Amino acid sequence: MAFFSMIGAWFRSLSPDVLTKGLRVGLTVVLGLFLVRLLAVLTQRSIMRRSTPQRQMIARKAISYTGFLLVLMAVLGELGVKLTALLGAAGIVGIAVGFASQTSVSNIISGLFLISEKPFAVGDVIRIGTTTGIIQSIDLLSIKIRTFDNLFVRIPNEKILTSEVTNITRFPIRRMDVMLSVAYGQDLDRVHSLLTDIAHENPWSLEEPEPVILFTEFKESGVEVLFGLWFTKTDFLDLKNSIIKDITVRFAAEGLLFGWPNRRVTIANDPGATSG
Amino acid sequence: MRRTGVSVWDEVDLGQNRCAAWRFPPRSIFVERVDNEYHVMSTPPEGTCAGESRFEFISRGEKPRSSAWRHYLHTETVPVQPSPVLPDRPVVVRPDRALTLLPGQNALFFLEIPVWFRLSTAGARPTRIFEEPLCVLSKTWFGDPITGELCYGMATRLHQGIDSVAHSARIAICPLAITNDSDTELAFEKICLHAENLSVFRGGKRLWANRLNVIFKGSEQATQIEIVHGPPGFERDLVEAAGAREPASGWNIRKTFGVLKYFADF
Repeated sequence: MAFFSMIGAWFRSLSPDVLTKGLRVGLTVVLGLFLVRLLAVLTQRSIMRRSTPQRQMIARKAISYTGFLLVLMAVLGELGVKLTALLGAAGIVGIAVGFASQTSVSNIISGLFLISEKPFAVGDVIRIGTTTGIIQSIDLLSIKIRTFDNLFVRIPNEKILTSEVTNITRFPIRRMDVMLSVAYGQDLDRVHSLLTDIAHENPWSLEEPEPVILFTEFKESGVEVLFGLWFTKTDFLDLKNSIIKDITVRFAAEGLLFGWPNRRVTIANDPGATSG
Repeated sequence: MRRTGVSVWDEVDLGQNRCAAWRFPPRSIFVERVDNEYHVMSTPPEGTCAGESRFEFISRGEKPRSSAWRHYLHTETVPVQPSPVLPDRPVVVRPDRALTLLPGQNALFFLEIPVWFRLSTAGARPTRIFEEPLCVLSKTWFGDPITGELCYGMATRLHQGIDSVAHSARIAICPLAITNDSDTELAFEKICLHAENLSVFRGGKRLWANRLNVIFKGSEQATQIEIVHGPPGFERDLVEAAGAREPASGWNIRKTFGVLKYFADF
């Protein structure tokens, strides 16, 4: 009770002018913020409904930031602050702040380049260095990523601009390369036809483009085979899990052997031994 | 009660104490009405899609015991209407033999497209209960890896006369008339049919899709394709069994033109 009576006494001590100004400032803030929020939501829901999530986000942020700036200027004007003098001072302060925050400015400029170049969009899966995840937002200073093990990663825009970025989901279909090693002595024609069958029977592998089967190299443990299967980007996990299983099961059923590291040792004083 | 052939697509009054069974080997679909719910179960379509299609009622004791039964709530007790619908994506058809259409020639083919099973409530305001494919088709890509589209892929016999097409309740026959209006040969190796734009019509012994007229004008020009509305005139008294998923509007036609540019490249 004492607190409220203290507040009441403070209000009574204010002159009517100050009270009116305070009310007008309060009203400007409340109404201004409400209008900015309303405009941002309406823009997102109606005008930008058919646009990409990234453009929606940029439009929403542009409206919000501009709106907040206008509200701030209106409040300062209401409080009697001369905006021309403030803007002049802001120029000097800006130079000082610019020197002090070169990294941030670099990030902002990088962000503008990223927004205009559009190497990825919100919702894309990208890989930067060792980080792979889904883009949550692209902001002026950084992009935010959610990794597949549900970690939040913030990557500064400057780093993205100078790094190699792989957009995994840019195109609708991809090729999964499975490297196999087939033991020496196996019938490679049989291996080829078996891999073709495996690809055709797998429900996640596309018929077209045709799978790639390439005998790439003679390795220490066997002949290396590249088995490339095309798939739609949503089927990655299903194909990855099933194809390894399919290859293992079918190779075992057909009696085909995988290559594994092995070495033949010949003992020199063994009379029956041949070199090898 | 037992039905075979295209009569498996007749309306069914489920009643309360029996289970309806549609058999499209290797897939079987079981539906029963329990209080305010439709209980549905289907066996996975593993194996070759062949054999007679039939419908029958079975007793509740005969129905499969499984945890795969799905329940759909619908308060009105009305008969149900099974319908044959075409796949939800384009179908890339690979004819069983390569055929080249010489310049100035035209030909009429009958292509077989496997249908899906859709169950709706019957009456003036039908409600879709569920739908699923009777045969699992493989996935394929039509066009280049960036702008192409995901399709179902299937090999089919290239029928040039209707007599060689078997009577089936699970196949819709799509008459495809092709005119080679160019100076080059048209290698007829792969066709992308926009099945989602086609309706299904039911005849006495067969199911039909809309007739397609295709005019090939050379690899540099877009191929023209026309979907002939209404039942194809190869059987009398055809009735529409299911409308197109996406009726061919101006947008669909343009899209079809675009895709059919690849027609010439294959």
